[in-house]
Amino acid sequence: MNDTLEQWFAREILAHEQSLVRYLTRIWPNRDDVPDLRQEIYIRVFESAQKSRPELPKSFLFTTARHLMTDRLRRSRIIFIGARGDLDELNVLVDELSPEHHMTSIQELQQLAHAFDGLPTQCRTVMWLRKVEQLSQKEVAAQLGVHEKAVEKQVARGMRLLTAAVLAGNEIAALNEQLDASKSEIEHG
Amino acid sequence: MDSAQIEREAADWLAKRDGGDWNEADERAFADWQDQSTAHRVAVVRIKTIWQKADRLQALGAGVPRGQIPAPGSWHLSPFFGHGKPPTQPAPAEGSASFDSDEVEETAAHAALYRARPKKTTAPPLVALRAVAAALVLGVGAASAWYFTTHDPNAYRSAIGYTKVVSLADGSTVTLNTNSAIHVALMATERRVDLVRGEAFFEVAKDPKRPFVVSTANKRIVAVGTKFSVFRGDLDTRVVVTEGQVKVEEVQSGGSMGPVTQLPAGSVAQAGSAGVLVKHSSVAEAETYMSWRSGYIALRDTALADAVEEFNRYNQKQLVIADPSIAQIRIGGNLRATNVEAFVRVLDEGFAVHAEDQGNRIVLTGKANPR
Repeated sequence: MNDTLEQWFAREILAHEQSLVRYLTRIWPNRDDVPDLRQEIYIRVFESAQKSRPELPKSFLFTTARHLMTDRLRRSRIIFIGARGDLDELNVLVDELSPEHHMTSIQELQQLAHAFDGLPTQCRTVMWLRKVEQLSQKEVAAQLGVHEKAVEKQVARGMRLLTAAVLAGNEIAALNEQLDASKSEIEHG
Repeated sequence: MDSAQIEREAADWLAKRDGGDWNEADERAFADWQDQSTAHRVAVVRIKTIWQKADRLQALGAGVPRGQIPAPGSWHLSPFFGHGKPPTQPAPAEGSASFDSDEVEETAAHAALYRARPKKTTAPPLVALRAVAAALVLGVGAASAWYFTTHDPNAYRSAIGYTKVVSLADGSTVTLNTNSAIHVALMATERRVDLVRGEAFFEVAKDPKRPFVVSTANKRIVAVGTKFSVFRGDLDTRVVVTEGQVKVEEVQSGGSMGPVTQLPAGSVAQAGSAGVLVKHSSVAEAETYMSWRSGYIALRDTALADAVEEFNRYNQKQLVIADPSIAQIRIGGNLRATNVEAFVRVLDEGFAVHAEDQGNRIVLTGKANPR
């Protein structure tokens, strides 16, 4: 039995999310757009892999990213201001990508623990009971004396925050700040 | 397309599925939602990947009494975690660890953390947790309802697919197999462990004055200093002895003691309501029953139906035999307990078994009779 497309995607593509996000953030003038860009890139890679899986997944991922940014820049006619450079930079930077970072098992645990610690207090409490003590949502609700729906809500929140922290390498505290980040770096022509 | 909105919806779905009330209509609606766009599917894969990986956080719970939640940053005090803060960027590592974590390494890391954790862990007192709980309660308006049912420092349990090593104050060590739970009471005249569920391996420190007693539903397994494992099945209790000697006592209704069976090293005993069936074998053979301690399932001319049952103890993803004609296929070998994919691949390649991955379960059929 071959692994499913989803397993392949998690292993070969999601493993590079941190590098991808760093790359996009460095190139793209407005970092608020980065999550949407990442999503668009993933859609292209996923749909392409449905037909046939690329032999070099990482190169394919970054090539897709470069094409997407080029398309977007041409279409929206965004003009770069300042040090962010121009379209040519896209080509150069792909080759400059930092070498492969594979984490050891212990580093992964460290990273998870760090992300876990960054969760808001209530969310962290629920995550502890659910993931460390492995209680069911029902048991967590009973233990905390809250409604199951309240636990489910915290689980959903924890899922999102941990995913952002672990995959994309965002500090959870910084996630909210990002929303307020200045948009003054771009102008539309 | 707003990626943040899609991520929220994906997390809402997965959190709902993680909860108790999930029925087939939900499953269909979730499948429909995923089919609506690749963006939905990708968002689900991202969150699912991390949610599964977050099971590794269990390692943080080693040695922490149930119901207590250590303050943020506590783990960095541990020598296991090295000095200072964890790096925000992963350092390059030798070799190429795969994105999926290695389960054996996991157990080792877990054990290392367990031992390395300093005693003065800054866990907040229960009062602090109650404050947090109270804060949670405010949002719901049931302020008097909070309570702590499972706070018990003498209770230990392991999650599905994990083992847990517990060092007892008398010097004995208990290793919990997958999905197991014990309750420990060390008293002056007796050291008592209730095997609430699952399986455990006991390395008992010698103390002739205080026998070491493991209890299951209606059996007492008594040792002084020895090594043995006990598995609490639905109907039977299995006892395997690899060193020394233990005796199995029947507890009859009303609490009186029934017949006693002596088990020397190398015994494999199946104790049910009808009595105790003992197979005397070599110590080496008895030890194959302990292969789970190194993360493996040892199959020796085992019927597929039994092998499947064994694998299902270790994995959330359950195997289902949908074709009676393959249930009695005999298989042998050593397989990683948590690597159900590898097991299924072996079946698919080496035997006439077809495997269909349905997400939360894998359905096995004969290749001659595909469904």
